[in-house]
Amino acid sequence: MSESIRVLTVDDSASMRALLRSALSSRGYQVSQAEDGVAALEWLADNGSDIDVIVTDINMPRMDGFGLIEALRGQSRFRDCPILVLSTESSDEKKARARSAGATGWIVKPFDADKLDTALRRVTH
Amino acid sequence: MRHDPELAISGPTRITVMQGQVYVGTGAPEVLTTVLGSCIACCLYDPVARVGGMNHFLLAEPTPGSGTVADQNYGIFLMELLINQMMTRGGVKSRMKAHIYGGGNMHAGMTRIGDANARFALNFLREEGIPVVRQDTGGENARRVDFDPVLGRTRCRHVENHAAPVAKPVSQPAARGGDLELF
Repeated sequence: MSESIRVLTVDDSASMRALLRSALSSRGYQVSQAEDGVAALEWLADNGSDIDVIVTDINMPRMDGFGLIEALRGQSRFRDCPILVLSTESSDEKKARARSAGATGWIVKPFDADKLDTALRRVTH
Repeated sequence: MRHDPELAISGPTRITVMQGQVYVGTGAPEVLTTVLGSCIACCLYDPVARVGGMNHFLLAEPTPGSGTVADQNYGIFLMELLINQMMTRGGVKSRMKAHIYGGGNMHAGMTRIGDANARFALNFLREEGIPVVRQDTGGENARRVDFDPVLGRTRCRHVENHAAPVAKPVSQPAARGGDLELF
């Protein structure tokens, strides 16, 4: 039996975090959560070696998703970690910005739990 | 004397926010309007940016583990969409104030879905730190809401229940998401 995938979700909405935790935990993921980019960086500084993939929102206080991706890509240990954006945004301009920051891919909300599961397995294998 | 229809329509543009939709004011004179039965409309307003928006949702959020997509029928998606669109227009979340309307329990003896919707909206806004400055929810009546997104003024009137559209899930392919786009 394969080990479960360890995912960090970053979203400032408590309701969305609860929905993501439920959707991913029930599919066998080990889920950790942060409420914005700053909290994510703090958590990763202590636990970064325990994560397989990061899923981040874009619009967040303190540090948004773009800032988080840029900060992580500047650290050697997160240079190759898959980072997916999960956002209500879908503009080409925002996607281009995420791509240039170093995001692995983009998923538009509303998310479908099965599709998210497939996407996470695809980028971690 | 010639009647000029262009001159006759000189007031603000009226925009109907249907179930499953979000609309944020453009800054032009507009009135956002909707009629609610058990659905909820949340109006958000940033008094500094003078930007306001309204959503209109049918249900709160999917039952955990049900496999249902939290799509445009659900408040959990439409609330986030409204907040993000407000931010795109210059709104700042910490300055936003909320009005919530609707959540009528339209059919006696049936599940009080309106109350559940109102509870969800209040919980969501509390968790997001957005104060609710006006609320008219519950009861057994339909409501008509008008919202001026530049001034942040709302008007909510109770109307005959038959004025409310039939509340049922909508499917809008454009609002479906969830596919991975790899870079």
